[in-house]
Amino acid sequence: MSHDEVKQQPPINHAPSSNFAKEVEQEFYGDGIMKCIQCGMCTASCMVASMTERYRPRMLIQKILLGKREEVLSSELPWLCMTCRLCEERCQEDVNLSEIFHAVREIAAREGYIPQVFRNTINKVLEDGWLLNDAYTDFVEDDRSDLGLDPKLSWNNDFVKKIKKRYFEGVTKK
Amino acid sequence: MKEFVLYTGCTTPVRLPAYEAAVTVVLEKLGVRLIPMKDVNCCGAQYIESLSHTAFAAMSGRILAIAESMDRDILAICGACSGSLKAVKHDLDSNKVLRAEVNELLADEGLKYTGTVEVKHLLQIFNEDIGYDAIKAAIVKPYHGVRLAAHYGCHVTRPPEIVHVDDPENPVIIDTIIEAAGATPVDYVGKTRCCGGPMLAMDEEVANKIGLDKIKNIRDEKADGIVTACVFCDIQLTQVQFGDMAGDEPKIPVLTLPQFLGPAMGINFDSLGIQLNKIDPQAILQEM
Ligand code: SF4
Ligand code: SF4
Repeated sequence: MSHDEVKQQPPINHAPSSNFAKEVEQEFYGDGIMKCIQCGMCTASCMVASMTERYRPRMLIQKILLGKREEVLSSELPWLCMTCRLCEERCQEDVNLSEIFHAVREIAAREGYIPQVFRNTINKVLEDGWLLNDAYTDFVEDDRSDLGLDPKLSWNNDFVKKIKKRYFEGVTKK
Repeated sequence: MKEFVLYTGCTTPVRLPAYEAAVTVVLEKLGVRLIPMKDVNCCGAQYIESLSHTAFAAMSGRILAIAESMDRDILAICGACSGSLKAVKHDLDSNKVLRAEVNELLADEGLKYTGTVEVKHLLQIFNEDIGYDAIKAAIVKPYHGVRLAAHYGCHVTRPPEIVHVDDPENPVIIDTIIEAAGATPVDYVGKTRCCGGPMLAMDEEVANKIGLDKIKNIRDEKADGIVTACVFCDIQLTQVQFGDMAGDEPKIPVLTLPQFLGPAMGINFDSLGIQLNKIDPQAILQEM
């Protein structure tokens, strides 16, 4: 077969399909993403990945680097990291995966993609000032008294109202 | 006597008040007095943290500023809280713009973050403020022949450059205390892995699989019990043993570190809340 007969293949385009990675880089602690060399050590050490096929941290980083913005933001993937940081201890390139996924969650949240369980919990915290107001029953009060602890818990809920007004107006509705 | 303000976090006072009680009596006996914090708010971990870094910094920043107004360093007994407070302290100390924004929000209440207080997790108090010699000296009823598995908690030891607690790959503080009290610390596969607790919100089944995997690894080493240093880990490692997937192997008792240490220091079970533990730890506590 002579050279002339080799068909010209269209060039493969390795350029990212959007500047999503750059966008992530601009967020708080999102700047580590470009250091990833796609070795897969993170996935190998991730307990979530070992228990479900739905989640692979290396692949999620890759999707971000490839610019798959909508796909990532509208998926559950950035919310499946339990931020245990075991992968970060192992990553030889010092990629701060859990912070990067937090940065992605912030972007997702601004566009209205928030898992319902996060929405509900955040609405509670921004109302009560703390997480477990509804779980604080008379039984628990009695246990606290028996243990010699103050049964009156004094959580502040004024400050969260300010936080809600300033940072979450409109974000967690639904 | 050293004094710290105690930030309990949301979960301990409601779901594990025995931890709060045990920490208070054990530390008091070791020369550390805890002052409760009033009128505080959730640190913002996981939930607020995921949506807005600035809002998260404001929530944890307010707790730091209240500690400043009380002129004491903070003790946090929950891994998530200690991690949040330390991370936010790091941010507020290095990012002037963020600090100015947080201080603007705090100004109405006459609060201000200036960076003067330290945040310590319970393990640091034992290691840095009390020391192993003093712990050993306080042991009056040492354990004998009990094998215990330490579970450290992700946010307690990671990221090491922010939290400064222990070696993240080979943590030793709980193991050293187990040994100081006369018991035998046992190593197990996946010791520094997560309990699965933070996964409960998104996928309970995966969370429980992760927790049960840890229980299995601990059971493989024939440990008599598990010693924890975070309220979430303690609750998660207990509750997974009651779930559908748990099987019918005997349950392994889970004790918070002060609940483990207290009896060996001669503190009575009632003030440590031992009777509230969901898995009866008598088998461990008899061996003294
Ligand atoms: S371990 Fe680090 S460098 Fe390797 S794929 Fe994961 S993030 Fe990238
Ligand atoms: S931090 Fe997230 S991605 Fe990394 S090991 Fe933990 S759960 Fe997996």
